[in-house]
Amino acid sequence: MNVVVTPAMLGQVVISGILSGALYAMVALGLALIFGVMRIINVAHGPLLMLGAYATYFLSTALGINPYLTVPVSMAMLFVVGVLLERTLVFRVVDAPELSSLLLTFGVSIALVNLAQLLFTSDLRSVEYLTGAWVVGPFALSKSRVVAFVFAGALTGLAFLFLGRTKLGKAIRATSQSREVAMVCGIDVQRIHLVTFGLAAALAAAGGALIAVIVAIQPEMGQIWTFKSFLVIVLGGAGNYPGALLGGILLGLIEQVASLFLTTQLSEVVAYVLLVAILLVRPTGLLGGRQT
Amino acid sequence: MSQRVALAAPVAVALALAAYPVVASGYEVRATLQIFMWIVLAGSWNLISGLTGYVSFGHVAFFGAGAYAGAILISKAGWPWLAAALVGGGAAVLLALVIGYPCLRLKGPYFAIAMLGLNEVLRALVSYFEGLTGGGNGLSLPTLDATVPIYYVMGLTAVAVTVLTYLIITSRFGLRLMTIREDEVAAEAMGIDTARHKLYAFLLSAAGPGIAGALTARDQGYIEPISVFPLATTITMIVMVLFGGKGTVWGPVLGAVVLFVAQEVVWARYPYVHPLLFGALIVAVVLLMPRGVLGILQVRYRLPRTI
Repeated sequence: MNVVVTPAMLGQVVISGILSGALYAMVALGLALIFGVMRIINVAHGPLLMLGAYATYFLSTALGINPYLTVPVSMAMLFVVGVLLERTLVFRVVDAPELSSLLLTFGVSIALVNLAQLLFTSDLRSVEYLTGAWVVGPFALSKSRVVAFVFAGALTGLAFLFLGRTKLGKAIRATSQSREVAMVCGIDVQRIHLVTFGLAAALAAAGGALIAVIVAIQPEMGQIWTFKSFLVIVLGGAGNYPGALLGGILLGLIEQVASLFLTTQLSEVVAYVLLVAILLVRPTGLLGGRQT
Repeated sequence: MSQRVALAAPVAVALALAAYPVVASGYEVRATLQIFMWIVLAGSWNLISGLTGYVSFGHVAFFGAGAYAGAILISKAGWPWLAAALVGGGAAVLLALVIGYPCLRLKGPYFAIAMLGLNEVLRALVSYFEGLTGGGNGLSLPTLDATVPIYYVMGLTAVAVTVLTYLIITSRFGLRLMTIREDEVAAEAMGIDTARHKLYAFLLSAAGPGIAGALTARDQGYIEPISVFPLATTITMIVMVLFGGKGTVWGPVLGAVVLFVAQEVVWARYPYVHPLLFGALIVAVVLLMPRGVLGILQVRYRLPRTI
């Protein structure tokens, strides 16, 4: 396969990569938060994103609300779902061996996907809004992707402001650094876990709401997001929140550059080879270990 | 006395099953063949996840890899199916080496998530190398009615996996694996080369699914990506092991038999509710009876750990 890469193509690829990378970063930040604070990898993260996409679909088609206005509603709904999940199931396995939390969230993820299949059927659904692209010079910018980028950037910024400036956010970071010390300082760790899980589900829901306008919605759309979000935090370094931003943008760029040379069919293979290679060469991630 | 029973009962069951195809109908032989397959799959998953505590969310990948390796050898190179099945097992072990070496050196969930993605990757690769695999159109094998011989080979594989589990659990190697499961840092401090032990367990756990995949491909005569890489298969083997009792010899066998029969008799009538139930069952077992049925019996009746 001989592909001549022109500078314009490369520019286009870089732009597309950054646009989708911001979404990856936002969704992965949720997974990274849960992992940092509770030491759990939430396998159900992607299915929560799927629920967020369905929330936007039904709000915008049944009630006729502008899909972008449904983003906060969808986030709020999934925040509640996240809190309920934590309070009923996940809190029971926080200190259990890894096997328990992985299997539990795996079971939840299967149940959510199949529940969605029962309730919403496997039909592909889509939200028709903002189709087409803006043409700027030699580049074509898909409108829905640009808006998704702006939303993702703003929400991720807000999340970092929350973590950096508010008392609750600082408590979350403190718990993530050391649960025992946080507890000694008077932080209600149970409550922090609850808020973190809700927040992470809300970030996943935002991702789902934004890609509802871009790709087709179906019950199994989520699982690949669990994998990609995990890849993003491996790239950036587990427990390193700014690392998730870098990892997200990098994953977006790598996928887009790879699509220049390979068929899009193989984009998941590229992401996978990347994961294995990173684990082989630099298992602590590009930015190194835990810092918050 | 009880030791004699413990030895005589499995031998009697094995003899009865060996004579079974003579009297049974085609459907009954096929159903029993399926049970053997599930014993192989569940028993193999138990070797890595039950013994070391490293959860494999993509064990069906080895089944699929074995199925494709075997089917390609049979249909394109004209190999006899028995040899192809062994090579299918070998291919799965090779794949396990490539994935296991980088992912098992680390602690934590890296391995679990890497296995979660593996299935999708293999599916994409099968579609990409269309010339060899037939892509989405699938791959047809020359017609051959070999269900009864395959029944015996699959049965032997099931016995082999179960005996292997017994040998491992009663060996020093098995003790080391279980030490890793209970406390990996302590295991390392005791001088166990944890990465290497995990890798060995993982390689052993890939062989059975690879052979079972190739045998199933031969028996069904046609494979396609959806039929040999379903996530549902991984879910089913996990549920079987958790239900029966992870880390035990007979737990996977018990889980495979009970859940397969339940699936055929009851849940087949409600095809959509069934995977939802499996998800709920995983959650319930993890929270309510993490040791599974056999684990509970072991504690209550003080049965030996080698059951």
